[in-house]
Amino acid sequence: MEEMVVAMKELDVDLARQKGETKPIEMSAHGVSVWFGKHKVLENVNIDFPEKSVTALIGPSGCGKSSFIRTLNRLHELIPGAALAGEVLYKGQDIYRAEVDPVYIRLSIGMVFQKPNPFPSMTIRGNVLSGLKLSGLKRSDHDALVEETLTSAGLWKEVKDRLNSHAGDLSGGQQQRLVIARALAVNPDVLLMDEPCSALDPASTLKIEETIRELSKKITIIIVTHNMQQAVRVSDHTAFFLAEENAPGCVVEQGPTTEVFGNPRDQRTLDYVNGRFG
Amino acid sequence: MTILIAEVPPIRAEDLTPQRPWTQRPKSFWFAALLGIFIPLLILGGLYATTDIAPPLLLIVFYLPLQLIGAAIAAYSTKGKHGIADSSIIVFAVGATILSAIVLGSMLVTIIVRGFEALRPSFIFQNSVYISPSTPLEYGGIGHAIVGTFLIVGIATVISVPLGIATAVYVTEVRGRAVPYVRFFVQAMSGVPSVVAGLFVLTVFILTGVLQQSALAGAIAYAILMLPTVARTAEEVLRLVPEDLRTGALALGSTRARVVLNVVLPAARTGVVTAMLLGIARVVGETAPLLLTALKNDQTVTNPISDPISALPTFIFDNVAQPYPDAVTRAWGAALVLMILVSVLFTITRFLSARKPRK
Amino acid sequence: MATLTWKVLPVAPDTPIRDLSKSKKANRGDRVFNTTITGAAFTSLAVLAGITLFLGAKAVPVVQDQGIGFLTTTIWDTTGVPPEYGIAGMLYGSVLIAFIALFIAVPVSMFLAVFMVFMAPVRVSKLLTNLVDLMAAIPSVIIGLWAFYILVPPAEGWQDLLNQYLGWLPLFQNDSGNFTGTPFVAGVVLAIMMIPIVTSVTAEVLKRTPPELINAAESLGCSMWTMLRYVALPFGRGGIIGGIMLGLGRALGETIAVFFVLKIVYDINFFNIIESGGGSVATLIVAKFGETSGDFEVDVLLAAGFFLFLMTLVVNAIANLIVRRTERLKG
Repeated sequence: MEEMVVAMKELDVDLARQKGETKPIEMSAHGVSVWFGKHKVLENVNIDFPEKSVTALIGPSGCGKSSFIRTLNRLHELIPGAALAGEVLYKGQDIYRAEVDPVYIRLSIGMVFQKPNPFPSMTIRGNVLSGLKLSGLKRSDHDALVEETLTSAGLWKEVKDRLNSHAGDLSGGQQQRLVIARALAVNPDVLLMDEPCSALDPASTLKIEETIRELSKKITIIIVTHNMQQAVRVSDHTAFFLAEENAPGCVVEQGPTTEVFGNPRDQRTLDYVNGRFG
Repeated sequence: MTILIAEVPPIRAEDLTPQRPWTQRPKSFWFAALLGIFIPLLILGGLYATTDIAPPLLLIVFYLPLQLIGAAIAAYSTKGKHGIADSSIIVFAVGATILSAIVLGSMLVTIIVRGFEALRPSFIFQNSVYISPSTPLEYGGIGHAIVGTFLIVGIATVISVPLGIATAVYVTEVRGRAVPYVRFFVQAMSGVPSVVAGLFVLTVFILTGVLQQSALAGAIAYAILMLPTVARTAEEVLRLVPEDLRTGALALGSTRARVVLNVVLPAARTGVVTAMLLGIARVVGETAPLLLTALKNDQTVTNPISDPISALPTFIFDNVAQPYPDAVTRAWGAALVLMILVSVLFTITRFLSARKPRK
Repeated sequence: MATLTWKVLPVAPDTPIRDLSKSKKANRGDRVFNTTITGAAFTSLAVLAGITLFLGAKAVPVVQDQGIGFLTTTIWDTTGVPPEYGIAGMLYGSVLIAFIALFIAVPVSMFLAVFMVFMAPVRVSKLLTNLVDLMAAIPSVIIGLWAFYILVPPAEGWQDLLNQYLGWLPLFQNDSGNFTGTPFVAGVVLAIMMIPIVTSVTAEVLKRTPPELINAAESLGCSMWTMLRYVALPFGRGGIIGGIMLGLGRALGETIAVFFVLKIVYDINFFNIIESGGGSVATLIVAKFGETSGDFEVDVLLAAGFFLFLMTLVVNAIANLIVRRTERLKG
């Protein structure tokens, strides 16, 4: 029996080698559990996020994916009553150590939220540059930065003539790309995306997905999504979260996206990716 | 057949219990914060002991800048440059909180301490007939003013609560065309200075000879001040009544009037009571209108239209600036009684509004 | 081929026939109800109109008799032939005191609100909210009593210090060496009454900062200061200004708390805030009402009340417009 038990990790590495993808690990979660008050929502999550790749976190709603992603850049701790266990490593260092400044972590690990949330009192340009103001970062080449990040977010052509109009005038999809540009302007290594397309129409969704593929050449992306096709389209790796009834959520299966979707090892994953529940 | 099992790292003890690592600060933080608070305080104490600089000067000119600098240095050494602005905000915010707490604390403590000197059964139950400002505290009391306050507030409640609730019902249930205007007028009415409400009653009822200065006249002035509070609070609570309840009753063939009287108002009754109590709390200490419309009276008056009448606020007003210590102590005693009334109203409204609205 | 036929059943002869015309009757109750409610809803309009008409009717003859001087002079000569009255000093005094109060109360309230909403733990924040509301509920006559005995004595010392060190500023000039009954003290008392009002409005507004904007700011590495400066304050600006204006309206009309600490001098005190001089309209009315020497003087006080009413009405209307406009902008 012994020889039949193959550690999944090794399998992952093997598969990655076959595809010529041996990337260093940018971030990893070790034994992360999450609580709100006494309520445990997530148990013992272990995931590695390779550098310059897209990792999709999928699973039915209420399984703790969003709570998990918020632990990765220390936004979790802003919720009263929040608690966690385990460690989150960024470049090999635990981001929850007492000496670590959360501001540094949040600047290195940016985030895009479910609902487009540009600052309504600022212009498009102001929104892109808001990260500099908010964090006190200094950069001299503001114009170049605005153009560069808006181009990366695939929005430059649409807004270059009205950079000084209010962000609220943009459509939902444009707002979401503006928010991506805003997150990129502080030059993060990792970008967390919490269901970035769930409030958008299909056309905008496609544009964002293009942007994600493009961005993953430069930075590491972790994306929570409900949409399994989206996970297949954009991600290199997938982790499937599931919360059984009255139990905290956990990762049922993880691995290269093609494996998780094409050849799932767990019956529950098979059922989920085939749309039998969730 | 191959069985695949995810490689699970060994579970450590701290992985099983919820942690809040963000509340853990490095020792250097506590050290810096402690020094940032302690050193300015130490200098303050030293200056206070060794020099005769006036305390307000000491606090504002010496301590405040020192504390700002101390906090800034502490912040810079632990959080870097972006902590400096925050440290000033924290100093000012904590300062504003302490300042307000001192003011409130001073008021409450003085009222209680000074008020207790006057408090005795006779003070509560007797009136002030034959009592002059120099009469010792053993004699006379504020019984007549308590009766006066209850009488005036009672009549004001009877006048304003139905009108206020009707206004709220108009806005939330009848939903006539004039709703925005009605809301605007209620809002405007809440800004009427209390002395103007008194002048209005004076002009309309007293100078015309319809009423004399009495509990009823004072109550009308109070009602003017209560109405907007009652109307706006009642509007808020009626909005909380679920729409299904209304449509359900209408579908059963109830008339609008029945729906409001038998369904909506009973469902919101706690809220309606809260609205009434908030209205009472708003006026119970009002003095200016009574000075113009109810005057004062040392006798206990129970007839609302026949005589001038004293109430707690006007009793306090009359005794504040008296050159006799016993009169001033009476004012504090009356203030304590009035404050107890206000606190009771305040506590009940808090208690009622903390309860979840009935579904 | 079978044909489908409908059998028409006759109505049984003893079936009671519903007379739908009677259903109108049930509505009559509704109509009475609607009329009553609508009538009652207009009480507020009636009262406002009544104040305007009745006090206005008293003010017109006074202004006719005294001329525009009623609003522009500071003479108060009740025994002259004819008697002369001017409330310019009082009107200006009301505004001056209210602005001194604003100057003190607004920063304190802002920081207190920021502490309550963004710094304090939930329990402390709840406790502070209750304490602020309790402070707002303290009757003005009690605040006046407290101010007269507890606040005024040290406040004279503060003013002395201001005069000593900043006396070269016209604002803090005082040649008499007497610091009682000054606009400054009255302003401090009004500030104490305004702090709970402005604080609770500001805290309410700050609490409504959308969490998604705060999340966005946090994810961009904001500090407390930058979050306030670029997110919370721009979002709540309208509501906060509206709250301050409401406090201002309250300050303009406040009578009793100021009465004990402010000396009325028939003069315009432009800016010597630590020297007694000027007064306030509301205080004037209460102070003079007990010692009026005839019907005309009562009318004069009513006229003064009319102008006080107009002043507060305008301030409150502006406050409400600001609050409403910002609420509409936010949808």
